Amino acid sequence: MNCKKINEKFVDFLTGEADPKTRQEIQAHLAACASCREELESLSAAWTKLGVLPEEQPSNSLRTRFYTMLETYKQTLKQEKPAPGLKKLFAGWVERFWPRQPVFQFALSLLLLVIGLGGGYLLNSGKRGTQEIVQLHEEVQNLRQEMSLSLLNQSSPSARLSGVSLTSQIKSPSSKTVEALLSTLDSDPNANVRLAAVDALYLFSSYPQVREGLIQSLSRQTSPLVQVSLINLLIEIRERRAAEALKQLIQDEKLNPEVKQKAELGLQQLI
Amino acid sequence: MKTKDEQGNARVTPHADNEIMQEVKDGKVEKLAILFERYHVMLYNFFLRLTGNRNVSEDLVQDLFLRILKYRASYQSHGKFTIWMYQIARNAHIDYLRKQKDEAPLEQGWDQALSRERLPEEELETGQEIARVRQALDKLSLKKKGILLLSRFQNLKYREIAELLGCQEGSVKTTVHRALKELGKFYFELSGGITS
Repeated sequence: MNCKKINEKFVDFLTGEADPKTRQEIQAHLAACASCREELESLSAAWTKLGVLPEEQPSNSLRTRFYTMLETYKQTLKQEKPAPGLKKLFAGWVERFWPRQPVFQFALSLLLLVIGLGGGYLLNSGKRGTQEIVQLHEEVQNLRQEMSLSLLNQSSPSARLSGVSLTSQIKSPSSKTVEALLSTLDSDPNANVRLAAVDALYLFSSYPQVREGLIQSLSRQTSPLVQVSLINLLIEIRERRAAEALKQLIQDEKLNPEVKQKAELGLQQLI
Repeated sequence: MKTKDEQGNARVTPHADNEIMQEVKDGKVEKLAILFERYHVMLYNFFLRLTGNRNVSEDLVQDLFLRILKYRASYQSHGKFTIWMYQIARNAHIDYLRKQKDEAPLEQGWDQALSRERLPEEELETGQEIARVRQALDKLSLKKKGILLLSRFQNLKYREIAELLGCQEGSVKTTVHRALKELGKFYFELSGGITS
């Protein structure tokens, strides 16, 4: 290959797009041609020099602005959308609650079967119903608890989200379920799941264990969205003991200014 | 998408960009957050190297994601998402330049803050080097600078840059070659003719 052809391949050489055969050809040519060697050296020096440009992090406001924009856009979409037909609404509802994984689909089918069989049995047996209804009810509740517990332990965020939303159908959660929800709130890697956990725990906010857990979780949250939602919840349930935790949060110098404002406002409402 | 890892445990692999963008196109706009988290730092740095201004670069990233939402219906999932994304990035930048031309130009060149940052003695040399590379980069034509940045920092192949710009792969390569040569020359001049 002549110098001109070799020269054209130099940029492939720099990005590593050149195949092994071309690389060999280039190297063989370079060994014999000083001017091409010099040319590649100067290109390669400039290419490497660009590497000194540091990678910077944008300010926090970029993220806040993006999520505000996304939220606003979502709201406008909702307003524009015509009300869905009854059939679509039902299909959407079923889809939302129907689990994706076969094992949970199976569990849900089993649950429906138990409800169906039990219901039929009760209808037939008429009078001795009440006690059995109570029993059946308990079983359904237990199954729901089991299901949400196992969903909460899944690796996929969407499965964990379904787990969180399933807990809203549990009337009186066991302390194990409450614990699982609190630990999701504290340490789930996905902010959306943590946000959903805040909402779910609102339903159980009469439990002392939940109130305690919510207060403690305040210092563990890092996402501004979750922090704000948690502060809102604590104000909503008028949990005065949260005042101390809020004060500490405000002192944190790295705290997002909007969260800080929210916390200060909340503190005034609680005291 | 589910695969098995080395221990044979099932695990969930991150969804490909085009699958996510397809969902955004289908109305699940909240999924755009995943793409934002994946690319915003990279895009911010692309714009920063292009414009030299931090505030402008943040505005451009925001503008780009707004455009993705607006034009999501025009997204074709068979193409690579990042090619489409950088096409929009380029348009956002061109519109910004046009708008800036109409108004009085605010600042020229690199953010003052970028070069005036106080550096400890031992970092001074690196700081000067960075400033020189930025200045040399600024002397390139916009076309050369843009293409060079795309191939050097944005993980795009020459073929992909050609697709993005709607030109021949050969012409992308020639531009990168020339841009590097000029960059080297400008850098050399700025260093006072001393190579480092």
